[in-house]
Amino acid sequence: MTDRRPHIVVRDLRLGWGSRVLMESVSFDVARGSTFVILGGSGCGKSTLLRHMVGLATPQAGRIDIDGLGEPYRYDGAPPFGVLFQSGALFSSKTLAENLTLPLTTWTPVRGPMVQQMVQAKLDLVGLGPFAGHLPGEISGGMKKRAGIARALMLEPDLLFFDEPSAGLDPISAVELDELIRMLSRDLGITVVVVTHELPSIFLVADACIVLDKAAKGIVAQGDPRRLRDESTIPFVHHFFTRSSPASESKERVI
Amino acid sequence: MDGKIVALRAERENDSARIVPAGPFDLAHAAAVAHAVADVEPRLEGCRSIDLDLAGVDRLDGAGATLLAALLDRLDQTGRRTRVVGAGNPEAARLIALYRQRSTAAPDTPPRPGRLSRVGRVAADLPRTFTAALDVTGHFIAALPKAIASPRSVDWRVLPKLVQDIGADAVVVTSAANLLVGLIVGFLGVSQLARFGAVAFVPELVVVAQFRELGPLVTAIVVAGRSGAGLASEIATMKVSEEIDALRVMGFDPMRWLVVPRCLAIVAVVPVLTWIGDVTAIAGGLLATTAITDTTPRAYLLATADAITPAHLLAGLIKTPFLALAIGLIACGQGLATQGGAAAVGARTTTAVVLAIFGVIVIDAAFTLLYVAMGV
Repeated sequence: MTDRRPHIVVRDLRLGWGSRVLMESVSFDVARGSTFVILGGSGCGKSTLLRHMVGLATPQAGRIDIDGLGEPYRYDGAPPFGVLFQSGALFSSKTLAENLTLPLTTWTPVRGPMVQQMVQAKLDLVGLGPFAGHLPGEISGGMKKRAGIARALMLEPDLLFFDEPSAGLDPISAVELDELIRMLSRDLGITVVVVTHELPSIFLVADACIVLDKAAKGIVAQGDPRRLRDESTIPFVHHFFTRSSPASESKERVI
Repeated sequence: MDGKIVALRAERENDSARIVPAGPFDLAHAAAVAHAVADVEPRLEGCRSIDLDLAGVDRLDGAGATLLAALLDRLDQTGRRTRVVGAGNPEAARLIALYRQRSTAAPDTPPRPGRLSRVGRVAADLPRTFTAALDVTGHFIAALPKAIASPRSVDWRVLPKLVQDIGADAVVVTSAANLLVGLIVGFLGVSQLARFGAVAFVPELVVVAQFRELGPLVTAIVVAGRSGAGLASEIATMKVSEEIDALRVMGFDPMRWLVVPRCLAIVAVVPVLTWIGDVTAIAGGLLATTAITDTTPRAYLLATADAITPAHLLAGLIKTPFLALAIGLIACGQGLATQGGAAAVGARTTTAVVLAIFGVIVIDAAFTLLYVAMGV
């Protein structure tokens, strides 16, 4: 039976440093098995929100509830989710296989040849099977990100976070990565939370999204990105999805 | 573990069989799943057609799917026809299909040198390390007049902070090291010279040993460990994060922009640190001597004042800028030579500290031989 409870519930979140408030009154739900995208311009706090959701920072106020556990994750045991950082964050002194082995041998009783079998299966899944013995410095940026995804999948999480997955990639690698994200959600049933501002990625992977605005210090719109693009009357959302700037629009009006 | 039972039943009928997994086929039960798979495989001998019926699987994740997909692949490879029956559990069937279609291509592992070969490579690289050090020195010497001719090509604004970091912040640790060295020489001097009734010469021993050799050497070694590591890791991190490349493409010479101010700062502060260290070493010698002999502090200080000559003082202080320059050039040179990621930063920092300490000892020994030859 499908679990209809939201996978993540965020309520009345206030984020910032000291007396500086970056965003407040942030509330949203992430549906189980969906791909949820956090959007917004540069510096609006997308990655900061993600850091709070994965427990790397503590909110000033509010609640982040993952899987109904109630308590924020505190990194004292096997993580209940996987995270892909912007650079892939692979350990540069270890081969791809060793990078993937680490969470498996740390948090599960799996040992011996089975470790290699599991690692190879995950590398095959992301198309990096032949590169198990390579060091991160010997593969491309897109491959590093795919290896990062394979490592994030090692503990079979049902929730994955991606921070700017297609940043710095060529269009073909970016599409391949987006398709991989789509496959994770569609075929493995994993809930995926993606931080990005790449419009093609958004329309390819997102089931739902929130749009953050720096000036508004919070969410200005949420829902299906295609509907927001076509129907939103909020100026920031309109400019964001149509890649237009308020300045150019007012210039056109004058002409 | 939750006590749930993982089972893989094989139901044979003539030359065909049906494998029926039951229970949780997931990462938490991976060992049990692997065991069940290993058990069922021999029981399929002689079967030409094998169906995997997934209706009874409680839970299947990537780990379980990997093991079942590998079993089906092995059966396929031995010429048997396999089929996944996923009518009762289409998600599980899809997951197994996902892990099966991604077959492993031949590994393409780059060759890695063995331990013996790495030792050989280090030995073979020694001449290159030496020529690289000369190369950095040459570039630095060439950069100095250019820096003077074009002061805007040097980051002078960082100089006060460098003096603070390398000098002022290191005073406590270098002074403490020299105080302890003075104390050790004092105790050693008393224990040895007392046998000849020559305790009165302990202040002179402390002055000569500390001012000429130990002061510059100990101070330089502490600075090499502390600031050498700091400079090397800072520049190495800049190199791997492409900041050095950014400097180059903006028209800055990293040697002038980064290395010149760092070397000037270290050359400026090490003589001062050495001089402060000499003073604290005298205090150490005084503490040791007055603690275990009846020499008064006044008598000790008067004897020390008599022993300090310009020759002793200068013999030590003259070499300190050279020791400092060696630390700065080695640290910055190693930082600039970094290639790779975080591991390379660590490796270069270690190399920088080792080479800087070794270089300091070599230069100090060279000066000592020179002084002996000159009769100073």
